Amino acid sequence: MLAMAVVAVVACGGSESGGNTTGSTITLGAPLGLTGSLTKESTLTQQGYNLWLDWINARGGIVVNGVKHPVKIKYYDDTSSANQSAVLMQKLITEDKANFLLGPYGSAATATDAAIAEQNQIPMVEANGAAQSIFNQGYKYTFGVLSPANKYLQGVIDMAATLNPKPTTIAMLSADDNFSLEVANAINTYAPTKGMNVVLFKKYKNGATNLAAEVQAAKAVNPDIVLNSGHLTEAIAINKAAKEQKLNAKIFAYSVGPSTPDFITALGADANFVYDGSQWTPQVKYTPAFYLTVAQYVAAYKAKYPSLGDPDYHVAESTAACLALERAIENAGSLDPKKVRDALAALDVTVFFGQIKFDSRGINIYKPMVVEQIQSGVHHTVFPADVADAQPMYPTPAWDQR
Amino acid sequence: MADFVQLVILGLLAGGVYVAVGVGFGLVWGVLNIVNLAHGALVIVGGYLTWQLFTTLHLDPFLTLPVDAVALFVFGYALQRGVINRIIRAPLLFTFLLTFGLNLIVVNMLLLIFGSDFRSVTPSYSGQGLELGSIVIPYVRLISLGVAIALSASLAFVLNRTRTGLAINAIAADRDAAQLVGIDLRHAYAVTYGLGAACAGVAGGLIAMIQAITPTAGEPYTLQAFVVVILGGLGRVSATVVGGLAFGLVEAFGQSIPGSGSVFANAIAFSLMVLVLVTRPQGLLGRLR
Repeated sequence: MLAMAVVAVVACGGSESGGNTTGSTITLGAPLGLTGSLTKESTLTQQGYNLWLDWINARGGIVVNGVKHPVKIKYYDDTSSANQSAVLMQKLITEDKANFLLGPYGSAATATDAAIAEQNQIPMVEANGAAQSIFNQGYKYTFGVLSPANKYLQGVIDMAATLNPKPTTIAMLSADDNFSLEVANAINTYAPTKGMNVVLFKKYKNGATNLAAEVQAAKAVNPDIVLNSGHLTEAIAINKAAKEQKLNAKIFAYSVGPSTPDFITALGADANFVYDGSQWTPQVKYTPAFYLTVAQYVAAYKAKYPSLGDPDYHVAESTAACLALERAIENAGSLDPKKVRDALAALDVTVFFGQIKFDSRGINIYKPMVVEQIQSGVHHTVFPADVADAQPMYPTPAWDQR
Repeated sequence: MADFVQLVILGLLAGGVYVAVGVGFGLVWGVLNIVNLAHGALVIVGGYLTWQLFTTLHLDPFLTLPVDAVALFVFGYALQRGVINRIIRAPLLFTFLLTFGLNLIVVNMLLLIFGSDFRSVTPSYSGQGLELGSIVIPYVRLISLGVAIALSASLAFVLNRTRTGLAINAIAADRDAAQLVGIDLRHAYAVTYGLGAACAGVAGGLIAMIQAITPTAGEPYTLQAFVVVILGGLGRVSATVVGGLAFGLVEAFGQSIPGSGSVFANAIAFSLMVLVLVTRPQGLLGRLR
């Protein structure tokens, strides 16, 4: 039934297309870490790209001046290595003659690939590199549809400012990679503007699995809010250590990790009450100018990947990158890389993922992050209020009272 | 003061895991003269076994440890007998290459079977602990330390009190003389590697309870085992115990340095290792050979 609804949606979506003749195939290139340490996230990225690919080809392709151009995406496995990703990006451009580029997974690979896109003057639209260091290089051909790193935990601070009793002290733990430090440093400057103080700021080694001493240091300052800027591994380690060492706070919020199903399966009931900043959730309410609504998107994902549950934000942002590129090509009315680049720079459109608009550096600072909380083993969107589907469960009860 | 005591306790408890990882690594290195780069991968195989038994059969994770040990012993025995024995007298570089290759194969097999999802064993008592005033001692870590000590003690017993263990010791002392008195080298080598793998398996079971594991999570443990064995000294199980606990303590205090101290926790541990190598090349408790 669900699948039929999706087919109907796809058919209706075709009504705005104008062309009848079929033109040359547009080739998009994307290196992804299909093996190695980033396999999980890279697979989600590929799912997002493929969801759009099915949809656009069902309509006959991207319409350029009344001519429909079918689309093909050429993937290579970069084995989760940023250097390899750049090598493959060059191969996609020179050997596979890719017309346009889609981003790899992660800030590290996106940074190396952005340099290749720039050298070859081929636009790359990416969805999985949030470090602002990528966009501070003066590049003209890289566009990121996602909110930049400095926004990741700001939503949590905004939400905390609305809660009662209002939390005032923050213990900030951060991994020492570029992306995580950008997230954390942004909070150091942002929290005081909302009447909160970072009373502990502690860096640890990226990928650390034993964070007992860090959690102990946080416990010593008895903070209202415990923030972690890191990745899934460290988020799980901190949550485990917090319970073991009886670190109680009103809010536990981690930049990356809790939004993935793995966080809940690894921690069970201990995952409850944890907040995270998310690029997108299946509960958000945006009115799209084209493509699917949020509900239709979730249904389309479940129809294509029946065993995987709801799409997470990695999938959604990857689809959004394709949508930005598609709309820019249509607006440009041309397959010329320079003209499409200019159309991307001028783009301003709202889709199921939110507003897509780039600042002069090429990153989307216009879309807000949302805040999720895990409640009884399920993700709920709790902030901002106009897109939320649940109230924050606040304050987080002490470990021995759960 | 309470903070200091808590930190010492946390360091010692973390050290328990390093002891468990280190004893098997030290045994293989000391007797076979192989720096086993696949050790971390074997640790994670143990972790996945515990996770699998815990999720499908709902066994208590500590009860799965003997299963890990037996399974990894058999795997390690076969690996040594069938593969590593062929290059046992080759230059050191070949053993590096071979064990590095084995590491890649095992990690990628795990990726194929289990995927790259993060897994963790979270029993009902996970996170609970003994509270003495403001000091907390988490049960899982406390029992893990106990298991690591018991594991080391049984390994020491096997090596010093049983016929097989004495044969292994004899080989470590003089390979050719051992062969002259009728010790079956190939079998004894395989038993040694099997014992090392069994220790790795138990360590993996403990690690699955303490952190989230993925197929690639074992690699840092190979490095840590290396440091632990050098710190303590080669050739004695008790030395590895001291090395492991020392490493845990150094890490805890390194991490507690204010500011960005935690970033350098590993660097501090490695500096200590260099210091030990310079001043006491045989390790804190090792025997000169």
